[in-house]
Amino acid sequence: MSIERKDDYDHGEWMREKNLTPVETTFLTALIWMDKRFRIVDYLEILETLYYRVNLQMPKSHTEQYNLDNKFWYWYPLYALGSFSTIAYVVAAVSGALLGFYYAPATTGDPSSAYNQLAFIMTDLNFGFMLRSLHRWSAQVMVAAVFLHMLRVYFTGAYKEPRELNWIIGIILISLTMVFGYTGYLLPWDQLAFWAGQIGVEMSLSIPLAGEWVAQLVFGGFSLGQATLQRMYILHVFFLPFVVTTIIGVHIAIVWIQGIAEPH
Amino acid sequence: MAPDTDDATDSEGETRAREVEVPLRLYKVVTVFSTMFAVAFVVGGFIVLDTATQRASLSLSELDLPLAVLGVGMIAAGAFVYAFSTRFRAEGMGKPKDDADEHSDNG
Ligand code: HEM
Repeated sequence: MSIERKDDYDHGEWMREKNLTPVETTFLTALIWMDKRFRIVDYLEILETLYYRVNLQMPKSHTEQYNLDNKFWYWYPLYALGSFSTIAYVVAAVSGALLGFYYAPATTGDPSSAYNQLAFIMTDLNFGFMLRSLHRWSAQVMVAAVFLHMLRVYFTGAYKEPRELNWIIGIILISLTMVFGYTGYLLPWDQLAFWAGQIGVEMSLSIPLAGEWVAQLVFGGFSLGQATLQRMYILHVFFLPFVVTTIIGVHIAIVWIQGIAEPH
Repeated sequence: MAPDTDDATDSEGETRAREVEVPLRLYKVVTVFSTMFAVAFVVGGFIVLDTATQRASLSLSELDLPLAVLGVGMIAAGAFVYAFSTRFRAEGMGKPKDDADEHSDNG
């Protein structure tokens, strides 16, 4: 859009012929006054141009093809949700890496080293409360953003041919996001964590045939203990980060290659 | 529904939001600046309200009433600026829901 010629008009003349209410005229005049002094819109347009220059492989979109330009503008803000998920993920990764300097996945001690380290982070460590809050909030925001992103994709029909694969990858991503949340929830090893773990073990055990094997593999036994915490820890800070980062990379690469779907 | 009735009522006699078509560049100005003002007013309003009530910890008799009113007023002003800005449309922009050009058959 911004590559096109800018519309040239004379503010005063244009507004006079337009039949605006006094409030509207004042509103527009005030904003035009601001715009003349702070050229924020110009800088945003430079960013927009940059975006279109970088996305050379973007195929002609549905809206361009059928000259529907601008008809679907009200969907576009929701296109930010995928990036919003990514940003939340990065914030969680960075704050989590920093928390890793102070956390210990051990059930020994009174009540446990894991819990004591959390108490240390929350009460003694400089900016520790802030750090843990950042980690928890970004995790929750990520879950919400991913879910809303999925709704955006569904309601704009972006999952349709040829983007079926990315929808399936998305389902894997939202599942892994929740596993990330669950394993992290167990790490404080407080009452909430312990009983959430108990529920997990029992859910695993209820699986026909494979139940005992799954409980052993994921929770390290049929009752909770050091093995459980250690497995949750490795899943949360070693296994999932590599897997999820890679899959998000593939997911976004596919969007890059295929071009973004316009709403239709 | 009758297409392209730009007056204030639709066929069922409900009042419809006013639409003002402006040039694209001006639409961007409206969007960018009114969003900025709205955000500043609403966030600022909450900060003022927090200050007036010491983060909602004071009793009714202790709180700084004028400051609290100012805070609520700022939040309302931010909401007003945002709501007001939504009546402006650039040329060719569809309207959500009641746009006659939009079909539900995937185009
Ligand atoms: C960790 C979770 C996820 C991340 C970080 C992520 C990220 C992204 C990003 C950045 C885009 C570019 C377009 C946009 O932002 O809207 C995108 C597109 C897409 N996502 Fe996701 N996504 C995630 C989960 C999901 C889920 C749960 C689904 C659906 C089940 C999904 C399906 C899709 C599809 C089909 C597209 C292509 C849409 C188009 O071309 O318009 N994604 N994703």
